[in-house]
Amino acid sequence: MTAATTLLAVVAWIGFAVIAPRLARRLPPAAATAALATGSLIIAASSIAVIALLAAPWIAQLPEIAELGPWSAPKLRSGNPVPVAAAVVCTALVGAALARLTLTGWQRVRAIVVVRRYCRHLPATDANLVVVDSDQPDAFAIPPPSGRIVVTTGLLRALSADERRVLLAHEQAHVDHHHAWWVLATDLAAATNPLLRSSAQAVRHAVERWADEDAARQVGDRVLTARTIARAALLVTPTQPAQAMTATGGNVPDRVRALMGAPPRRRLLPVLGMATILALSLSASAGVDSRTDTVFDRASLTQARIGWAPATTTAVNHIGVSHGNGNRSR
Amino acid sequence: MIKRPAHGRRAAGALEGEVLGALWAADTPLTPAQLQTTLGTGLAYNTIHTILSRLQDKGMVVRIREGGRSAYRPAKDAAQDAADRMRTVLEGGRDRAEILQRFVTSLSPDDEQALRAALGEDGPEVR
Repeated sequence: MTAATTLLAVVAWIGFAVIAPRLARRLPPAAATAALATGSLIIAASSIAVIALLAAPWIAQLPEIAELGPWSAPKLRSGNPVPVAAAVVCTALVGAALARLTLTGWQRVRAIVVVRRYCRHLPATDANLVVVDSDQPDAFAIPPPSGRIVVTTGLLRALSADERRVLLAHEQAHVDHHHAWWVLATDLAAATNPLLRSSAQAVRHAVERWADEDAARQVGDRVLTARTIARAALLVTPTQPAQAMTATGGNVPDRVRALMGAPPRRRLLPVLGMATILALSLSASAGVDSRTDTVFDRASLTQARIGWAPATTTAVNHIGVSHGNGNRSR
Repeated sequence: MIKRPAHGRRAAGALEGEVLGALWAADTPLTPAQLQTTLGTGLAYNTIHTILSRLQDKGMVVRIREGGRSAYRPAKDAAQDAADRMRTVLEGGRDRAEILQRFVTSLSPDDEQALRAALGEDGPEVR
C-alpha cells in the first residue's frame, strides 16, 4: 500500500510538472503566476514530506536516533514496508533537497542584500526611475521594498516617447506586483524538487506576460506594447548574441504574439485541472503520512501503557486505535 | 499643483519617468514646450513645469537659461555614478540577475526569426 500511495504521489508531481505550465498558458498571467507559485510550493512541501516519511522508519532505527525515541528499533525494522535501499535513497534525496534549498536561499538573500545596498546609495531617494549612462540598451526592475526602475540611456534613446511609456509601465508593473518574490518562491520550490523547474520557468514567462498586459492596459495600445517588446529584444541581438541573460525574460516571440491577440480571459477549467493534481498530491502525501504513523505506532514501546507522553499528538490517536492490536497486519 | 488621476503617487512617478526619459533621449536641452510636443500625451504645460522642478530638486535634471527661456537637460553626473554602481551590481553573477526583472533579453536565432515572423506583414514594422 505504501508503494501504491508513493507511486500516486510521484505521478501527481510529474503530472504537475508536465501539465501545470501548459494549463498556465491558458490563464490570464496574474492568475497563472499565482496558480503556478502556489502549486509549486505545495508540491515542493509535499514531496519533501513524502520522501522524508519514507526514510523516517529507517532513520529511526539508527542506534543514535533509536535511543531518543519511544520506539523499538527491531520492531521498526520488521514492520517497515520500505526496503532499506529505497530508504537510503530517500534519505539522500531529502538531504540533497534541503542542501539545494539552503544554497539557493542563501545565494538569493545575499543577492537581495547587495541590490538593496546599491539602492541605498542611489542619489535621489524618492524617484522611481534611475537612469544609467550607458550605450548598452538595458532596463530592469529592482524588487520592492526598494522598488526602482533602472534604464540605460542607450535604451531610452533607442525608443520613441510612446515606447518609453510602455517600457516604464512594464517595469513599474514588475515592482507593483512583487514579481521578483513570485519568481523567488517558485525557484526555491524548484530547488527542492527538480521536477518543478518547468513551473519556475513558466512563472518567469507569466510575470513578463503580466507586466506586458499591465503596460498594454496603461498605455491603451496592445500593438504598441508588442512592438516595443519586440524592438527592445531585437536591439540586443545583433551586437551581443551571447549575453549571459538567456534564461530570463520569458519567451519573447510568445509574448509578442499574445499581445497581438485579444486580452486573455478568465477561465475556470485550467484552475480546476491544477487543483485536482494538487489534491491528488496532498491526499497521497496524507496517505504516506498515516502509513508511516502506523509503522511507528506498531513499533512503539509505550503502546500498552496509557499516560506516557508520546512524541506527537497524531501518535496519541493511533495508539488509541491500535491499542491491543499490536500484531494485527494490514 | 498637478491634477493627479486616481492612482496618485504612482501616476506622478510615471510622469517623472516619461519626462526624464525624453530629456535623456534628446540631443539638446528641451524647454517645457518642446517636451510637451515630444511626449504628445496631452499633458498640460503646467504639469510638465511642475515635474521638471521636482526632478530638478532631486538633482536629476539641470536647468539652463537660454535667452530668457528655461531649458532642461539630464544631470549626467548622477547617471554616471549610477552606471558605475550598476556595473558592480550586475557583475555579481546569476543570482543577482535572477532577482531583477530585465526588460531587454537576448534572443536565440530561432526566437529572433520567430519574432520577426510574429511581427509579420499585418503586424507592426520593426524600424
